Amino acid sequence: MRALAILALFAAPALAQEGRFSAGSEAQSWSLTGEEPARFEARVVDTLCELTGDCPADCGGGARQLALLRAADGAIVPVLKNAQALFNGAVDDLLPYCGETVEVDGNLVGDDAANPFKVYHLQRIRGPGDAEFLPANRWTDAWAARNPEAAGEEGPWFRNDRRVQALIARDGHLGLGLEEDAAFKAYLFE
Amino acid sequence: MRMMARRTLAGGLAALALAGPATAVERVQVTGEMIDTWCYFSGVMGFPESVTGSAHHTCALWCAAGGIPVGLLADDGTVYMVLKWEGDAAVTGGDAILEVQSDRLVADGALHVRDGVNYLIVDRVVENLGLVNRSHEDFDVVPPFAIPEPQK
Repeated sequence: MRALAILALFAAPALAQEGRFSAGSEAQSWSLTGEEPARFEARVVDTLCELTGDCPADCGGGARQLALLRAADGAIVPVLKNAQALFNGAVDDLLPYCGETVEVDGNLVGDDAANPFKVYHLQRIRGPGDAEFLPANRWTDAWAARNPEAAGEEGPWFRNDRRVQALIARDGHLGLGLEEDAAFKAYLFE
Repeated sequence: MRMMARRTLAGGLAALALAGPATAVERVQVTGEMIDTWCYFSGVMGFPESVTGSAHHTCALWCAAGGIPVGLLADDGTVYMVLKWEGDAAVTGGDAILEVQSDRLVADGALHVRDGVNYLIVDRVVENLGLVNRSHEDFDVVPPFAIPEPQK
C-alpha cells in the first residue's frame, strides 16, 4: 500500500509545453498534466447561463460556476483553480468581471483520453481599462469575510472551515465512518 | 471501475423543454463517483486513480468547499461537470454538493456538450450508494497531510 501511495505522489507530470495561446504568457509552471501557459482575451460568463439561457443578473453572485468565453475561438473554457495553493477555486476572482471582457494569464491543463479538453488554472486577470494584471488570489480573503470566527483561528482555512469540520466529525477523514477511521489512523501512525 | 453513462432519450418533450439557446440538450442517467475535478485533471496530487475515493475524501471536501468545480466521474472515465444539483444552482462550495463528495450515485439530468466538455444539470439523484471506493487500501491518504498526526 505504501508503495502505491508513494508512486501516486511522484507520478511524472507532463512537461510544460507551448500551446496556441502561450504567446506573451508569464504564467508560473506548476508541473501539471498537459500544462500549457495560456494568455488570452475572454468574456467572463456564468456557464449555466451560457448553456441554458437561465441568466441571473449577477452571474449567480458567487454560487454558480463561472467560465471564460474565449474571444479567439468562442470556446467556453472551464476555470477550475485560482493562483493560490490552498484548494481554492476561481469564482471569487472572476465574479467582479461578470459579463466583461478581460485578459487572463495562467495555464491550460489536462491530458485525459476520456475527456479531451483542457481546463484553466487562472493566475492573473486584467479587467477592461486596467493597466496592470491583478493576481488571482481573492479566495482566502473572501472566505475569511464569510467566516470571520473561523478565520480568526490558528491554521489554514481548510482546517478551520466549519462545514468541513462537521463532515469529518461525522464521517471521518476517509468518509467511511469513525470506527473505520480510527482503525486506519492506528495503522497510519503506528 | 470504468463503466457506463447510460444516456436515455426520455422523450422529445423533456428535451425540448430544457433546450437552451447555445447547446442541444439530452436526457441522461449517469452512474459514477463525485470527484474534485482539479486534482483529477491536473495531476497535482498524483495520477487520477489516487485522487478519488476514500484516500482523497478529505481533500475532495476541501476542494469542494473551496469552490473548485465538482464532477461526476462515470465508470467509463467520462467526467461530467456539475452545474446544478437537484434544482440548486449553488454548486460553488454549496452545502448539497459538499455532502455528496466521493459518493457513488446514480443521477438523472440534462446533458449539455460544448467544446468537448460534458456539463450535467442534475435533476434528481436516483440512488446514492455512499462512499464505496476504498482507495485508501491502495494509496493510504492523498495528500498525506490530509489526516493530521495525533497530538501526543
